Amino acid sequence: MEAPNKQVTAQGLSWHHLSHCPRPLTASAATPPISRLPRRGMERLDLLLLAIEALDLHGSEAMVWSCEQLQLQEAFPDRVALWKSRCRNPLRRASRRGDLNSAEQRGLVELVCSLADRLYPMLRQLLSSSEPAELSAQRWGLFRDRYNDLVEARMNGRRGAIRQLLDPADGEALRQELILTLAFCCGPGGVQRLEASLLDGSR
Amino acid sequence: MTNFSSLASAAGLSGTQYKLRYEQSSCRLELTGLPDVTAADAEGQPMQRLNILTGWDLNLGQKASLQGKREHLQALVSAVQPYVRLLVSAQPRQQSGGSDAVVSLEPQENGRHLLRLRSSQPDTPPLELVLDNADLADLNHCIDQMLMDSRCALGLEVHRPEPLRRGQYRRSSIRRQGQWIAPAAAVASVVIVGVVVSLLPLPQRAPEPAPNATTTEQSEP
Repeated sequence: MEAPNKQVTAQGLSWHHLSHCPRPLTASAATPPISRLPRRGMERLDLLLLAIEALDLHGSEAMVWSCEQLQLQEAFPDRVALWKSRCRNPLRRASRRGDLNSAEQRGLVELVCSLADRLYPMLRQLLSSSEPAELSAQRWGLFRDRYNDLVEARMNGRRGAIRQLLDPADGEALRQELILTLAFCCGPGGVQRLEASLLDGSR
Repeated sequence: MTNFSSLASAAGLSGTQYKLRYEQSSCRLELTGLPDVTAADAEGQPMQRLNILTGWDLNLGQKASLQGKREHLQALVSAVQPYVRLLVSAQPRQQSGGSDAVVSLEPQENGRHLLRLRSSQPDTPPLELVLDNADLADLNHCIDQMLMDSRCALGLEVHRPEPLRRGQYRRSSIRRQGQWIAPAAAVASVVIVGVVVSLLPLPQRAPEPAPNATTTEQSEP
C-alpha cells in the first residue's frame, strides 16, 4: 500500500454516484433460512426497536410505514401484529409466550436495519468524537431520558436485565452498545450482520 | 487473433475507464478500472461493469488518503468486515492474522480503533490511523456499498457473517450477572431447611398405660 497521498487525481472519466441509486438493503434471496431466535436475541431485537423509538419521536409510525415500504405486510399486516411480535420479548411487562416465526423474525431484523439506515446521521452524531463534548453530552442525555422512559413504561422492572439497563452506572454502557449496534447494522450488509449477531451463542 | 483492445473497439468501449465512487460523511472510496469486454449479457451486449481494477483511493476525511492495488483492497475488506461483525455483537477484538496482516484493526480505549496498514515497500513503517466509531461506521458503509453494487464485479472474497459460538462469545450486553442468584438462593434455602429439620429431635411418645391392668384392678374387690 502506498504512503498517504493528500491529492486526489481527477481524471476525465465516467463518474457514477451511488447516492441516487436505490440500494439493496435486504439480504439477498439466496440467504439460508434464518435459525430460531434465542431468547437473548429476541430481547436484543426489541431493545433495538425501543432505541429507535427513543431516537425518533415518530418511531412507532415510522415502523408501520417501513413495514409497507419493505413489503412486510405478510408478517405484519397491521400495527397490532407488529406489537404482538415485539411482545415476544420475555422482558416485557406484558410478554407473550412462544417463538417468532421465520417471517416475523426476518421482518423485525429488516425493520431494525431499515430504520437504523434512516437514522444513520443521528447515530453518527452520537458516536462521533469530533462533535463538541457538551453537545454530545446533551444528545446522549436526551436519548437516555427517552429510552429510560420507554423501558420503564413497557418492560418488567423486576427483571435483573431491566434494572441493569436503568442503572445509572451500567445503563450507559448498554445504551452505547445499542447505538453502536444500530450504526453498524445499517447499510446494505447490515441485515446479515444483525441476523448473525442475534444468534450469538446459540451454537 | 482476438485481443481485448479489438473487442473493446468493436464494442465501442475503446479507452473507456470506469470509476465508481462510494461516499459517506468522512469517507470516500473510489475504484478505477476497466470493464471485461469479453463478458456479455444475455442479449450479447457488453456488460457495463467494472471487472478489472487498476487502482483505488480511500479518503478518510482529513486523516489520510490511501491508494493501492486489488490485493490491498481485498486486505482492507477482509480486515474491516469481520471486525465490524464483532462490533455489532459488542465483542471487538483483533482478527486472526493479527498485527502481521497487511491491514489490521484492533480496539483501543474510548470507542476508538487502530487501523494499521503495512506497506509492501521495504523499510517503510506501517501507517497507523486511529478511527472513532463514526469513522469506522462510514468506512464500513462505503465497503458495504461497494460489495453490494452490481456494477462492481471485482469478485472480492467476502465471508458471510456467522453467529459466534459459545466459546467465542463473551456475554456483555444485557449482562446476566446474578441471573442464577434467585434459583440458587431457592435451592440453598430448601437444602438448609431440610438439614435443620433433619437435626431436630423427634418428639418421643409417652408410654400408654396397659388397658388390661386397669380392668384387673377394678374387678379385684
